[in-house]
Amino acid sequence: MLIRILKSSFLKRPKPVLLVLLSIVMGSAVATAFLGISGELSHKMALELRSYGANIVLEPAAGEAGALKSDDLPKIKTIFWKHNIVGFAPYLFGQVDFASAAGRQRAVLAGTWFGRPLQVPGEPDSIQGVKVTAPWWELDGRWPETPDEAVIGAALAKRLKLAPGSDIVATAAGKERRFRIVGVASTGGFEEEQLFAPLAEVQALLNKPGQLSRVLVSALTVPMDDFGRKDPSRMTREEYEKWYCTAYVTSVAKGVEEAMSGSRAKPIWQIASAEGALLKKLESLMLLLTGLALFSAACAVSSSLMAAMAKRSPEIALMKTMGADRLQIAAIFLGETLVISVIGGLFGYLAGDRLAVVISRTVFNSTVTSPLWLFPTAIGAALVVALAGSAAPLKRALAIEPVRVLKG
Amino acid sequence: MAAIIETSGLTRSYGDICALKPLDLCVPEGEWLTVMGHSGSGKSTLLNLLGGLDRPTGGSIQVRGTDLASLSEDGLARFRRDCVGIIFQQHHLIPYLTALENVMMSQYFHSVPDEAEARHALERVGLGHRLKNRPGELSGGEQQRVCIARAIINSPRLLLGDEPTGNLDHKSTTMVMELLRELRDEDRFSIVMVTHNQEVAAWGDRTIHMDDGCLVREERIKAC
Repeated sequence: MLIRILKSSFLKRPKPVLLVLLSIVMGSAVATAFLGISGELSHKMALELRSYGANIVLEPAAGEAGALKSDDLPKIKTIFWKHNIVGFAPYLFGQVDFASAAGRQRAVLAGTWFGRPLQVPGEPDSIQGVKVTAPWWELDGRWPETPDEAVIGAALAKRLKLAPGSDIVATAAGKERRFRIVGVASTGGFEEEQLFAPLAEVQALLNKPGQLSRVLVSALTVPMDDFGRKDPSRMTREEYEKWYCTAYVTSVAKGVEEAMSGSRAKPIWQIASAEGALLKKLESLMLLLTGLALFSAACAVSSSLMAAMAKRSPEIALMKTMGADRLQIAAIFLGETLVISVIGGLFGYLAGDRLAVVISRTVFNSTVTSPLWLFPTAIGAALVVALAGSAAPLKRALAIEPVRVLKG
Repeated sequence: MAAIIETSGLTRSYGDICALKPLDLCVPEGEWLTVMGHSGSGKSTLLNLLGGLDRPTGGSIQVRGTDLASLSEDGLARFRRDCVGIIFQQHHLIPYLTALENVMMSQYFHSVPDEAEARHALERVGLGHRLKNRPGELSGGEQQRVCIARAIINSPRLLLGDEPTGNLDHKSTTMVMELLRELRDEDRFSIVMVTHNQEVAAWGDRTIHMDDGCLVREERIKAC
């Protein structure tokens, strides 16, 4: 009988039912779309944030000075989180004497990769080096392409009166190496006091073949939470596995450290924290927008149901007169709400999925596939909207006094 | 004969207005009591109190031994579905349900809908051929007969009518009253009916006249 009542109620009152359905579809669709693109949005934002620079630094472990090895570098692209490694740049630093047409000066010579193709068996080819890890460098000129080309920091270039096209001679341990300046780098940091030359040339000049001082790694990570901040050495086995399998900056750093023998990896917290905070805020914003969309839909449902309830008050009064108790009346109206919300959730999911594709294509120029968990979430969101929206109308329905409504 | 209704000092006030002044009334099982009076005389107030649709502000009211004033909201709902059938002047049928479904709805609130039983109830009131029609497709008299079928479907011991023929023409009124008498004679339920119409009142066993919330006169039409 309940089904008959619901069926007749839907078929004979299509307008109010459609209004409520539309509100639920819209709320559920917006929630589905926002939640659908939030993963994509976080990923894209994390990629964009990689332009902040590296977020992990690898240095020789205590007591193993200068022990990082160039031969270990490809292993970084084989770790558990290899797909999260956006790029890395090795460095070998040394104090050398520079001579130019303007004079002589002692400063830091840094050997690095600028944009070196890296081939790792079983992994896709990639380009590694400063170009990838420090895309925010402002370069007047171009990146070095041959072993005798170098980039000079803007402050050092100013002191030595060098510009693209000038030559500079670096002297260390009795050896000399001439470099042609092809670019002047402005970074706003200590890099402006250095000369950057190809790694192999600097290793040869400093007589440190195959050695590295530091590796900067740029990795996609998730924001740190309380669990991520726990000390891994005090975790249980299960906790450690969970931590290791979550892309916290600390767990990615741990993976990189394991790949580079004799190394100690540390997150660069000012970068990692800023990224984490921004991503967290972004996620909160998406959740807030989703919540607002659902709240608006619930308000629309509530006002539609209120209007419908006013029209149906004689019907409710009659049911009460026939002996319907509060539970039976609630069952009829919640039954209607349940059916509408399941249908609304289904259509909301389909509409939200399309909306997510359109937003993703328009804003990020990429495609997005809604995860499967979004379907029950859409239905759940529709149910929440419908139930929240029907609370006040139901309360009003239960308070109807037959004597007043059926009078006359 | 045992009383189905017993009131003692029953009153109902709305603020300063006393709609029903202390009333002592006894209705024996099986009696057809008609309540007459002008508008505002308190007859509908009395009917609402008897049907558990309203609560008294004073006195006591017992229907089949149950003190209605002591019942909770859900208790009153249970009382209405188990003991009372109500017929209104305006019919009050659910417009999107068929005649059969309107009757079955009363069964649904009472216990379990039984289509065969609901069909039989409509056949008893002469509407076996109008089962699938909606209220809008029925005449006033037919709608009132659906209401009667709905009111008797759960075999109540008390049928309350609030001017059930008020909107009907003479022919339909006679048909409805004949039907009520026939059903009452078969099922032996009691009837309390409010009416303005002297002719309708003549179908009952006893008539009480009310004025300004008071019972002013009583006349026995036939022996109960």
